[in-house]
Amino acid sequence: MAHRATSSPVLSRAARPETRAPRAPWIGFEGRMMTPGLILLAALSIVPFLALIAMSFSRVRLLGGVALDVVGLTNWVRFFTDADMWMSWLRTIIYFVLTVGFEMVLGIGIALCLYRVLRGRNILLGLLLLPMFAAPSIVGLLGRYLTDSTFGLYAWVLRSLGYAGDILGSPTTAFAAVVLMDVWEWTPLIALITLAGLSSVPQSVREAAAVDGAGGWMALRYIIFPAISNVLLVALLIRSMDAIRYFDIIWVTTGGGPADATKIVPVRLYETAFRFFDLGYAAAIGLAMLAFSIIIARTFVRLLDVRGLTR
Amino acid sequence: MSTVITAPRKAPQSPLEASSRRSRWVVVLLLALALLWTLVPLLWMLLSSFKNRADVTAATPQLLFAPTLDNYRNLFSGPNNLGPYIWHSVLAAGISALLAVCLGALAGYGLARTQMRGKRHLAFWIISTRMAPIAAVVVPLFLIFRGLGLIDSIPGLVLAYLTFNLPFAIWLMSAFFAEVPASLEESALVAGCTRWQAFWTVVLPLTKSGLVTTFILCLVFAWNDYAFAVVFSGPNSQTLPIAASQLVTQTGVDWGQLTAIGTIVVVPMMLAGLAVRRWLVTGLTLGAVTGE
Repeated sequence: MAHRATSSPVLSRAARPETRAPRAPWIGFEGRMMTPGLILLAALSIVPFLALIAMSFSRVRLLGGVALDVVGLTNWVRFFTDADMWMSWLRTIIYFVLTVGFEMVLGIGIALCLYRVLRGRNILLGLLLLPMFAAPSIVGLLGRYLTDSTFGLYAWVLRSLGYAGDILGSPTTAFAAVVLMDVWEWTPLIALITLAGLSSVPQSVREAAAVDGAGGWMALRYIIFPAISNVLLVALLIRSMDAIRYFDIIWVTTGGGPADATKIVPVRLYETAFRFFDLGYAAAIGLAMLAFSIIIARTFVRLLDVRGLTR
Repeated sequence: MSTVITAPRKAPQSPLEASSRRSRWVVVLLLALALLWTLVPLLWMLLSSFKNRADVTAATPQLLFAPTLDNYRNLFSGPNNLGPYIWHSVLAAGISALLAVCLGALAGYGLARTQMRGKRHLAFWIISTRMAPIAAVVVPLFLIFRGLGLIDSIPGLVLAYLTFNLPFAIWLMSAFFAEVPASLEESALVAGCTRWQAFWTVVLPLTKSGLVTTFILCLVFAWNDYAFAVVFSGPNSQTLPIAASQLVTQTGVDWGQLTAIGTIVVVPMMLAGLAVRRWLVTGLTLGAVTGE
């Protein structure tokens, strides 16, 4: 990150010095390199974005070719007056806070433990990272297998501890189960990022703290955490954005049930669009979700900017 | 005076050492719990995939059983052969990752080196497309793909996967290119290379690890996708996660086969992920944290 490549005088010059004047072309070499990727990205993001806006003001008919009937604000009025919808947002926020909160706490804890291990740290880290690469839909299906009330391994463990209910069948336990599945899959990511941050704290700083008499907890509180706070912020940003994105686990385990207990906004949107084919209303929900995630991303980017972390 | 000299200087350290020895055991215990929490579901999936029908759904968990390959054999023989699903997954995820790396390397280089005004806005726009909620992206793409006849086709899936892989690849490659000193390129230019030659022969080989990391992470994201595939794919393009979810029906689930598919889906990506572990932090934080 130390290299300020962009300020190099030679690279900004025209490629061949012998061309007459150093006339800057309208679109430089860098621009030409970016063009194909950015055009494709624009086609894949701006066009759908405009379509989403148009759809949110229409009723979408799919039979006999796609047609949009403009219906004005109907979808939006419905969106803001739908009580179920507000419950979904509330549930989304609880789900979001619980998953990301648990993942941060457990991830940082595991990273701190791993950091104290010297021999075999790499093997341990490798094993602990495995869930991250598993397809979320498979994680969900595996979760269903493990919590099945008649033959699930975890259901069996709980039964021997005295709980005999159907885990995915009752609202509270189903919600807890999908949260824990997400925590299982993504805690390793936080641990990995935190460990990288811990490894970048200079040995001398920690030694100096020890000489000054800072014990384990003090060193952690006043030396380690301030030193890795930027890294933790990045971890929180990455995980937050993905927590809003992914809903595969819930979709394949409970599908939003039982009794809407796990129906977070993405699930409701998906169901509105591809179970009831109400694409206009789905578009309105989609725009609201987009706005929500952009606000979160902006907030984080501003925080990172203040700390000078973005390039 | 003598008391001052003979005061045991090591005394304050010994309780510290004792506590550190005790906390060492706490650390080991906590890590053992973390390993248990992490690995038990995966091992259980692997074990179950080698069990026969009775053992898979036994009320008490079976640790000792006669292993069988029936579940895997049934996946590849029989009416819904898994072969085409694997082929679709390989094609769609592979092509999408390859395209993302090629375009991402070009655009990432441009982004790392450009001095244009509004560069930061451009960078934010790129990354914001990656952060868009999948459910919100799928809905308009579904309409557009329907209009273009891209539903149930591999090109459709490749394009759909590019919506999240392309911004990721651009941003990640730009982080890798920013690490290459500009002076190397300058020497190449002074030696008579064109900008393109300097990029192709000097800079690109230096980012080989970045290219591999980007490719593998894009591959993992596309391979693991379910939300796009379930909407856009049909009989001619269904991928492995869809095949797995189709085993779940109202009448019952063949959990033996399901755990076998799960193993087939999950194991290659775990191996791929571990292969790029050195650059994983850079990759998964999009270069914002530069690791060790």
